[in-house]
Amino acid sequence: MPEGIFCNKKPIETQEELTALLGDTSGTQYYKEMKELDIDTKLLWTTIQNTCKSRIRTWLEICAHCGMCADSCFLYLVNDRDPKQVPAYKIQSTLGEIVKRKGNVDNEFMRMAMETAWAKCTCCNRCGIYCPHGIDVGIMFGYLRGLLYQQGFVPWELKIGAGMHRVYRAQMDVSEEEFVETFQWMVEENEEEYPGLTVPVDVENADIMYTVNAREVKHYPEDLAEAAILFHAAGENWTITSKGWEQTSLAMFAGDWAACKMQVENVYAAMERLKPKRMVGTECGHAHRATVVEGPYWAGRQDGRPPVECIHYIEWLAEALREGKLKIDPERRIKVPVTLQDSCNYVRNHGLREVAREILSYIVEPGYYREMSPNREHNFCCGGGGGFNGIGLFRPQRNKGLITKRDQILATGAELVIAPCHNCWDAIRDLEEEFEIGIKWSFLKPLVVSMLELPDHMKPEE
Amino acid sequence: MFKKILFATSATEASDHAARVAFNMAGTLGATLNIFHVLGVPTRGFSQVVLDVKTKEEVAVDGEYISWVEEEIKNYYANQLANCANCSIKASVGVPHREILRQAREIEPDLIVLGGTTGSEEDSVYKASTGSTLQRVAKASPCPILAVNRPAASFWGGLSNIVFGTDFSKASDKAFEFAFKMATSLNGELHIFHALDITPKNMGMSMPQDEIDHKIREAYKMIRSKYISKMKDFKNYSMNVWEGIPYVEIVKYTREKQADLIIMAHNSRKLDADGPKIGSNMEQVIMRANCPVISVNR
Repeated sequence: MPEGIFCNKKPIETQEELTALLGDTSGTQYYKEMKELDIDTKLLWTTIQNTCKSRIRTWLEICAHCGMCADSCFLYLVNDRDPKQVPAYKIQSTLGEIVKRKGNVDNEFMRMAMETAWAKCTCCNRCGIYCPHGIDVGIMFGYLRGLLYQQGFVPWELKIGAGMHRVYRAQMDVSEEEFVETFQWMVEENEEEYPGLTVPVDVENADIMYTVNAREVKHYPEDLAEAAILFHAAGENWTITSKGWEQTSLAMFAGDWAACKMQVENVYAAMERLKPKRMVGTECGHAHRATVVEGPYWAGRQDGRPPVECIHYIEWLAEALREGKLKIDPERRIKVPVTLQDSCNYVRNHGLREVAREILSYIVEPGYYREMSPNREHNFCCGGGGGFNGIGLFRPQRNKGLITKRDQILATGAELVIAPCHNCWDAIRDLEEEFEIGIKWSFLKPLVVSMLELPDHMKPEE
Repeated sequence: MFKKILFATSATEASDHAARVAFNMAGTLGATLNIFHVLGVPTRGFSQVVLDVKTKEEVAVDGEYISWVEEEIKNYYANQLANCANCSIKASVGVPHREILRQAREIEPDLIVLGGTTGSEEDSVYKASTGSTLQRVAKASPCPILAVNRPAASFWGGLSNIVFGTDFSKASDKAFEFAFKMATSLNGELHIFHALDITPKNMGMSMPQDEIDHKIREAYKMIRSKYISKMKDFKNYSMNVWEGIPYVEIVKYTREKQADLIIMAHNSRKLDADGPKIGSNMEQVIMRANCPVISVNR
């Protein structure tokens, strides 16, 4: 059968299509149709010829199959060192084969490649730092996902996620109005406690334009309130943007290159319209990667940079604490054993390895901080990165993938895990649900808000 | 007094006492009742999947599923609904306290009646944010909230014999305005009560009796100047100041007065970091009282 009703090569473009696909609960029909889906081998090969550039071709060529990457992969480790989980094998047996066969692959092969690309690699890029040649399998899987998406072989949730970006320019069905309204609601809810609290909307030339993750708006709007409180307490001249407020990109996880471009251009347009000095994004890892690290290339920006300087939330927070814009009440610092989850997307992939540690030096009572082992750029993925967290079909594999992080956390003896990344936060939450190891987990914002020393004029009456 | 009541319910036994009060109030006062249920909390990262709090199963929620849950609620409350003129049912997904507050923002009720939680709030699904659902709703609610903890607390049925407990805070002033309005509009009795906290504090030193007597006199003065002076012709009231552990005294006093409703201010802005522990006076009163408790925040 060529194209299915739900599973096909056509991306989601309208709200109606989204609703229809969502209606196929758990993607039952979608995955059934996938088994019959034809491969457009000509398109596949043309795409490879046009987009598979020298870096990936070289990597595929020069891989010596030495196996040095094996132990770097947490999925190899938790799956009893299955040779089929060695990163080099995983990519050679999928992308390598497609290239070798000039795109002449069948349906069964594509489904195997889909499982490999989304359930055997989280694009954490850890293997890249252990390969003697510097071959980064995570990058190649990111590329393979694009080829698979084009042919319609993408997990159901990610087809929906990419569709959300196409329809709403957000990863969930949150409209521009709902975003602004929710932010205002949160400010109203907290203005008694924080007199003068506001949320400036679409202010031009502000020092900071703040962007978020749609899940905060949809499910955890307290996060928006906390962001407003901290900007307010630090005396920042900040704004949100009514258009282009979503920083994340499930399109990146899905391999929907066109949607990646649409999404990030929307954020860049906001920067160009409002001309802030800097953009600060929320505590999210992949959002930073999408908008700050990779986005400029998707948008075809020659200098490889976003229109204005973009920093991660932890960079702003560290700066505000360092410069004394935010003051911490030493009495309220964290006094339980606490550890930090380094997010792959901005630590390993963007060098921010000491920033969160600087923040912890201000907010944790000396003696209570425990490093995970390994840590910083060597840290393992949370177990749910790259879209893994959200894919129902690969839930058992994902749950197994959490074991590395569970054991890392247990070894620290920490009671609290600070995870300044939505994906990590989710994975650690799920890990507690799955294994019940008795830990708590948190973003930085609520912790810092709870220990702020407010200047007198910002204190509530009474 | 109450035209619109939002009843947030688990639609299980845990909410039965609250349901009794909610339906009774709506009936007596001719209010509309919006029965609201949060069926599941978000799970699985960015996906649309939620964890059904009752079945503990992961479900992909769509319109059909929500309608099915709404139908279940309708069946659960079939008896009460038969006599409820103006009732509506809505099920939703999300983090319970947030969705209750979102619904309150949408329909602007005069009162939120809060039922019990499905399962234990110790479950990891609730652990993601600080404090119990009650604390979080009470902290941010735009209107008073009514909580019923013990089955016995839902049996009185009346709303005319009110105890107003005060700590003389600003929030208590708001609670007084509300209590007074309620007593006048329902033509009931109002008992104004302050409990002087004599729990040993400074290295276990208990308060000398002279100081207690003095503070009691001061409290009576406060009651007169803050509240009685504003009650004009309203005569059906009493006032008392007792010393002890505040929540115990309030509960004792309510029993003594055979009151059917307690009104207090929810002062605490802080949420218990250690999860859903019952911390404040307010929550202790809710736990122990023999009648419903209304918390007024603003």
